[in-house]
Amino acid sequence: MEFTVPQCWQDLELVEKAGIDRVILYGPPGTGKTHAALHRGSSWVERLICTEDLTAGEVTGAWIPVGDGKWSWQDGPALRAWRRGGRLVVDEVDRASGDVLSLLLAMTDTDGSAEWHHPTTGEVVRPVRGFNVVMTTNLEFLAELPDALIDRFPVAIRIDQPHPSGVLHLSPDLRAAAMSGSLPEAPRRVSLRMFTAFDRLRSTMDARQAAEILMGETNAESFLDSLKISTVGL
Amino acid sequence: MAVRVFPELVTGRQDDLSSERWTIEAGRARRGEASCDFVERILQVPVGPSQADRLVRAHELMHVRVSPHDVSPVALYPDVVPRALACAEEFRVNYLVGLLGFDTQELCDGSERRSGEKVAENNDWAEAVYFYVAVLGTGGERPFLLGIGKQQPLWSKTLKVFGKQALAIVTSASASAVSSTQRSASVDAPEGYEQFTVCVARLVHRMAGAQAPENEADVRTLKRSMSPGARRPASGQPATLVFDSSLHYERYAGKVRSEHRRARTVSGTTPRHVERLLTDPYQRIFSRNIHRGSAVVIIDQSGSMDLDVEAVDALLTAAPGCVVIGYSHRPGDSGTQPNAWVVARGGLRASSIPTGNVGNGVDLPVLEWALRQRRNRSRVIWVTDGQVTDSHDHPCEAIARQCADLVRRHQIALCRDTSEASRLLRKGTLSRAKPQNMGRVGRFLTGRSGM
Repeated sequence: MEFTVPQCWQDLELVEKAGIDRVILYGPPGTGKTHAALHRGSSWVERLICTEDLTAGEVTGAWIPVGDGKWSWQDGPALRAWRRGGRLVVDEVDRASGDVLSLLLAMTDTDGSAEWHHPTTGEVVRPVRGFNVVMTTNLEFLAELPDALIDRFPVAIRIDQPHPSGVLHLSPDLRAAAMSGSLPEAPRRVSLRMFTAFDRLRSTMDARQAAEILMGETNAESFLDSLKISTVGL
Repeated sequence: MAVRVFPELVTGRQDDLSSERWTIEAGRARRGEASCDFVERILQVPVGPSQADRLVRAHELMHVRVSPHDVSPVALYPDVVPRALACAEEFRVNYLVGLLGFDTQELCDGSERRSGEKVAENNDWAEAVYFYVAVLGTGGERPFLLGIGKQQPLWSKTLKVFGKQALAIVTSASASAVSSTQRSASVDAPEGYEQFTVCVARLVHRMAGAQAPENEADVRTLKRSMSPGARRPASGQPATLVFDSSLHYERYAGKVRSEHRRARTVSGTTPRHVERLLTDPYQRIFSRNIHRGSAVVIIDQSGSMDLDVEAVDALLTAAPGCVVIGYSHRPGDSGTQPNAWVVARGGLRASSIPTGNVGNGVDLPVLEWALRQRRNRSRVIWVTDGQVTDSHDHPCEAIARQCADLVRRHQIALCRDTSEASRLLRKGTLSRAKPQNMGRVGRFLTGRSGM
């Protein structure tokens, strides 16, 4: 069975073709936003996973001990992407601390304005042509991000369904359901990851048992009933 | 703890059901408290852990899987009453739920027996048929029949036969055909719906429109009528009057003769008949116009009358100024096809006169309508053979009797054909009325009905 590529993925493809270099992908988890950011459209990709504990040094770079009491400067992912003209993927941006968000404002600024000064050598680094940023977040409403940050990203696409290529590893009977399982809000959402786990589990045990492990006894039967009803007439 | 419901995981449709999230509203495992709203994307289902709740959820999810989602069946199939379509779809959905191994005996809410009793008490045969189809094959079927059978054993017997007929329609096909959501080539609806739900709905419509069985002979008649291609059973009711509003009208050529005369009176402004001072004991020397309403002519254009459009046209020419209405009902039609048309009124006549629809069906309503139209004791003329029928075009004694009562009470003139009506309009009197030639109505008029 072939699936129509959901509109959100068609939009992303058009945006990539147009050469837009600042994109936010947001929406429910488990739809392949990060996967797309990492594997589509850029040969050199640096990934930055934001947490509350992420420091500015982990974004741009820091002095690290190299033994014998010596220290060496090591570029962070943002700076590496700048120097190589690659892609910076900023994952879970909504979880970044205030310091990091401020730094990201500078690192994701338009190419003409962005520059970074090395703290000791004074070297001025500017992003090389080709540098682009994809930010991902599970937020449903982008208003929760700072306006200045959003302003740097002219395109924001809500990804609410997996890409059809993302469900090909599943057994055929689960693919269609996996395409739409991420549509509802939690707790009714069934992500692609959960389908993948279910598919693996049921290859070693009863489907009912597999569903119970993943969703609990109360919801397993309801989950299986929905899949069963899909099969009527097949 | 509420059970999660996953309508988004119900897939397999072939007719482009858009992938949008559903809103789940907590319902109950009771009739009318669970539903599937494709337009608002709301699924109202019980969220409890019981088997009854689970079955109701499965039922509603099956609607998500197979029911029409972007078309209004009522608009697509105007010849079938909406209730018949809805109940037939319930039946198909229940059947498919059962095919998947769900225990459809759990689909009942305990109200079915009382519902059966109530429907039978109210003598509501149509509702008995609708309800029965909706619960056919579920746990509600048996209690409903028991409730019906308590009051109307013959109904229960007939419904069982009917149930077998409905089941035969779906069991004769494969599950993939019954559940198909491929767009039908003929109508913009899922094939499964078009081929099975609508087929059952037509049977339901026909059965619900029939006269309730009152004896074994009626049961046999109804059984026969269920066979494919069989004649519709008698309904015992006239059809609803539906006027053709698409007709175009034109003015009569020449002067329209109005039916008025001058009457002498004792008061006025200008004496016009002075001679009456001598000749009239009341000395009515003044005069005034008395308008007599134009005649109302009703023309039965059913097949048995064998009237052609030219005959009606000739009548119009002979009687300008009259209100002329033709009628003929298509047997079994539920109001989609006009069964009456005003061909002349107020000096206007229809540019083209519709032909009949084979049956009579609306004799009584059209007589009642015509009587409401007459003004100032104008005459009502009924061109008919007296063979009045019900909405399924079966002869009906009760309707014939009511028509005869109207004829007698309102002195409606009966004419066998349009030429006789033309003569009546020209000369003012019938040469010789012959009610004995007027079929069933005539028999009631002459007291020969034997009833």
